[in-house]
Amino acid sequence: MYKTRARSFPVLMITLAFFVGLGWFVFNLATHGAEWVSLPQNGHLSENGALEHAGSIIDRNGVVLAHSAGGKRIYHEDPAVRTACVHVVGDNTVNITTAVQNLYRSELTGYHFAFGQGLPNEWKEGASIRLTLDSNMQTAACRALGDRKGAAVVYNYRTGEILCLASTPGFDPENKPEDIETNEAYDGAYLNRAISSAYPPGSTFKLVTAAEALESIPGAEKITYHCEAEEDIGGAPVTCYAAFGDVDFKHALMYSCNLYFAHLAVDLGGDKMTARAQRCGFNACRSFDRITTAKSVYDVSQASVNDLAWSGVGQYTVLETPLNMAIRAAAIADGGTPMMPYLVEEIRTADGSVQKAQHTRGSSMMSPATADTLKEMMDYTVANFYDKSVFSDVLDVCAKTGTAEVGEAGEPHGWITGFCTSEEAPFAFAVIVEHGESGYGSAVPVASAILKAWEEEQKTN
Amino acid sequence: MEIIAFALRMAAPLIAGLLVILCYVSLHSGRREEKALIVLQDEQHDLVYPVLYWENSIGRSRSSDVHLEDPTVSRDHAVLLRREAGWLITDTGSRSGVLVNGQPTQGRTPVGVGDKITLGSTHLVLRRTSDISGQSAQRSTLRYISAAVLEALLLLYLSMITVSAALTTGSNTPGLMGGIFCAVTVVFCFVSVKLLHRHSFEQETLALLITGTGIILSSVHNERQCMVQLIAAGIGICFFCFMLWFLEVPDRVVKWHLIISILSLLLLAAALIFGKVQNGAKNWISLGPVSVQPSEFVKICYVFVGASTLDVLQTKKNLTEFIIVSALTVGLLAYMSDFGTALIFFCTFLIIAFMRSGDIRTVILALTGAGLGALMILSVKPYIADRFAAWGHVWEYADSSGYQQVHSLIYSASGGLFGVGYSEGYLQYLFASENDLVFCLLCEEAGCLLALICAVIIGGFVLYARGAATRSRSTFYSISACAAGGLLVIQTALNVFGVVDILPLTGVTFPFLSYGGSSMVACWGLLAFMKAADERTYSHYKRLKKTKPEEAPAAAA
Ligand SMILES: [Zn+2]
Repeated sequence: MYKTRARSFPVLMITLAFFVGLGWFVFNLATHGAEWVSLPQNGHLSENGALEHAGSIIDRNGVVLAHSAGGKRIYHEDPAVRTACVHVVGDNTVNITTAVQNLYRSELTGYHFAFGQGLPNEWKEGASIRLTLDSNMQTAACRALGDRKGAAVVYNYRTGEILCLASTPGFDPENKPEDIETNEAYDGAYLNRAISSAYPPGSTFKLVTAAEALESIPGAEKITYHCEAEEDIGGAPVTCYAAFGDVDFKHALMYSCNLYFAHLAVDLGGDKMTARAQRCGFNACRSFDRITTAKSVYDVSQASVNDLAWSGVGQYTVLETPLNMAIRAAAIADGGTPMMPYLVEEIRTADGSVQKAQHTRGSSMMSPATADTLKEMMDYTVANFYDKSVFSDVLDVCAKTGTAEVGEAGEPHGWITGFCTSEEAPFAFAVIVEHGESGYGSAVPVASAILKAWEEEQKTN
Repeated sequence: MEIIAFALRMAAPLIAGLLVILCYVSLHSGRREEKALIVLQDEQHDLVYPVLYWENSIGRSRSSDVHLEDPTVSRDHAVLLRREAGWLITDTGSRSGVLVNGQPTQGRTPVGVGDKITLGSTHLVLRRTSDISGQSAQRSTLRYISAAVLEALLLLYLSMITVSAALTTGSNTPGLMGGIFCAVTVVFCFVSVKLLHRHSFEQETLALLITGTGIILSSVHNERQCMVQLIAAGIGICFFCFMLWFLEVPDRVVKWHLIISILSLLLLAAALIFGKVQNGAKNWISLGPVSVQPSEFVKICYVFVGASTLDVLQTKKNLTEFIIVSALTVGLLAYMSDFGTALIFFCTFLIIAFMRSGDIRTVILALTGAGLGALMILSVKPYIADRFAAWGHVWEYADSSGYQQVHSLIYSASGGLFGVGYSEGYLQYLFASENDLVFCLLCEEAGCLLALICAVIIGGFVLYARGAATRSRSTFYSISACAAGGLLVIQTALNVFGVVDILPLTGVTFPFLSYGGSSMVACWGLLAFMKAADERTYSHYKRLKKTKPEEAPAAAA
């Protein structure tokens, strides 16, 4: 019988494997449980009433954007603030996938690693979340965007705090329009365009081409070009909206001469352009605070010479999210290597533990020298081409506009990207107004309105 | 109310855990110490061989239980067995034969104390342990935790989960069903202890714990299914008692081998001919209002066919008959697209085949054969591979073939350690939540602690069966207990790991817990094999027949 017992070791191995498997399951449950629980498929969270006892969400100044009382979820009392913040805060449903109420729902509803969702309602206490968001700036952005679709990102390039992550159209989470699914005015209302949409960046992409040229071509700053408004490159025309005549690097950026940068892109070649674009965040998604943004795209693998030329001025198939553009601006403002943006400042759980945000610096987009050169050129552009006061009376702003052609789809999108050099307001920003015709006409006033909101705030404090 | 239900949910796994620990402590301390039952004395060479087991191989082979260094002795010469009647010796195809007191033997021959056994040129005299100095006598005290204590704790546990379920649902069904089941356990315990004089009740308690949990779980979701579960549990317990009676004499069972093999194949053939397709597998037979799954009962037949007593194993080393039955069983199940069950049978085959022969080649051959078979099935029916496409990638298939797994994981995590409350979960609305997904359903509603306890109980059955392998009354019990235990563990593994995406989802049931009458009855049948492997199960016989002055196992015929 001893032999029989000795030969039963396969059974023992199977049973041990079974216990190891159970252990693996428990390990996965412990490490991924919170993540699984916050998925939108979870009925405990997505069903009506899931937020009845959830914790509150406040902005950087302590303004309560959402809280629960009397078995009800209550948002900010001002419908304009509610509407402006809906993409960041979220509503009672799980439609806005990037909203904090969605991504942090397990914390807000009091998910506990040991008790799951199983605590009695009386004992459930959700964590409260403080955002870096400034609801005044957020509301100002949406007000300035008005009925137009668009997005605005403002973040502190020294710390990474996101102050404004606005998107229009929004909706009032307490009075959700009934025609939200059908009315064209609400097209993409569940989308936070600042992070979940990628648009052709147009002339704002010239900063990427410029950065590569400054680092790859010796004496690039001295290159001059005679602009006749149109020239054949690679068998098809590349056009400027005016004939700028003789332009050097600085003036080409100021006038936004397409031909100048189209030539640079062709001279640099697809490989170098792609490498620089990828350093600047293209062909990848950004991730922060459980949010994964849409992908910014720069792909010239199938491009003709003419396509490559157009890609150098942010046309062809180039796409970028407003957030990525703001990060690029932050890199120029802060020595070439940007601080990465974040939204959730702290999570305070019912048992008193506090989880604070991590400040992280991204990878280098350009050398400090290049960043300084571009900064100076953007400063020159604003000072000589627009007027410093179009943005703010108190803040010193460096910027670059863009007008992105969208072909058949309609009027071009208007962009503005830039940053404030003032130390009290180290803000990097990017604004898009869909079909806004020109960056100067449409996006600049939005950026200006956001900065004005900040100024107002400083005065009242 | 909510808080009381929550407190009960928190306390229930603690009581269940305590019960599990007590049962295994009791099983462990109740084991006989491995000391000589009798001894064989070689007076020529002044050697004493202790006889440790109920069935002992004698031979020149190093792994023999009584190892003789004598070139005239065959490798597997004979088997010395202990039966109710006394000690017996059987020649297992040796060259020189076995002589008792100088007389040549044929078949099983009784040997008494003082009798001389001749194997080759070795002469052994059977002696009582106490007659030989230096050999301590076997203590025959059997220790265990009283059945009444276990039953009381079980009732406490069952009433806790019943009350918790009744509070959250506010309906009478859990109370009613829980009450009936508690009554069933009391009657079972009473019959077992008072009428059948079986003093150990550990395995039954553990199985009743899982069964009761399953019944309460289904009582809050589906009254009809709960009724089926309850009736099946009753039938299962009766079947368990019948099996224990049938298993009492291993030699009798071995004689039924052929009939049981044919029966099992007939059952499968019936499923193939009269079966109807359910969930993609053709394995149900309708008998009027009752649907049965013949493959569940084939499991029991299969264990019967596989296990055997040591002298039979040693005489008939050939596995051909068993391999044919196995190949037909696995093949038929695969043909019916019941891959989960086919896999269970195949693993059980490997366990039994290895325990019988110790032959690695058989195992390798079987694995190769199965691999070829699987390739053949896939080449004939390539769409079958699609059923397992989501394995390991369920998050990518969250809305299609990974739907069940993804939701199971989400809701398991939502339950935490103590669950969200009976009927408060969302997994109940998923297809097959009461059988395929039952582990995660339990995780969500009663907490993963309780679900893990249920899984650990099943694993514990095997550890016990293996521990008892040399202490049971025949290799028949050792093999059948390990096979039955292994089968249950593999089935549990496929159920649990299938749904949490560690293994492909095959749709097999969780023993005792899942909804399914046939499965419930079959699990109780399999439990009987493990109960029978426990020496104490049949020890009442000696107690009843107090005819001999001493109870020492060395009693001669
Ligand atoms: Zn030009």
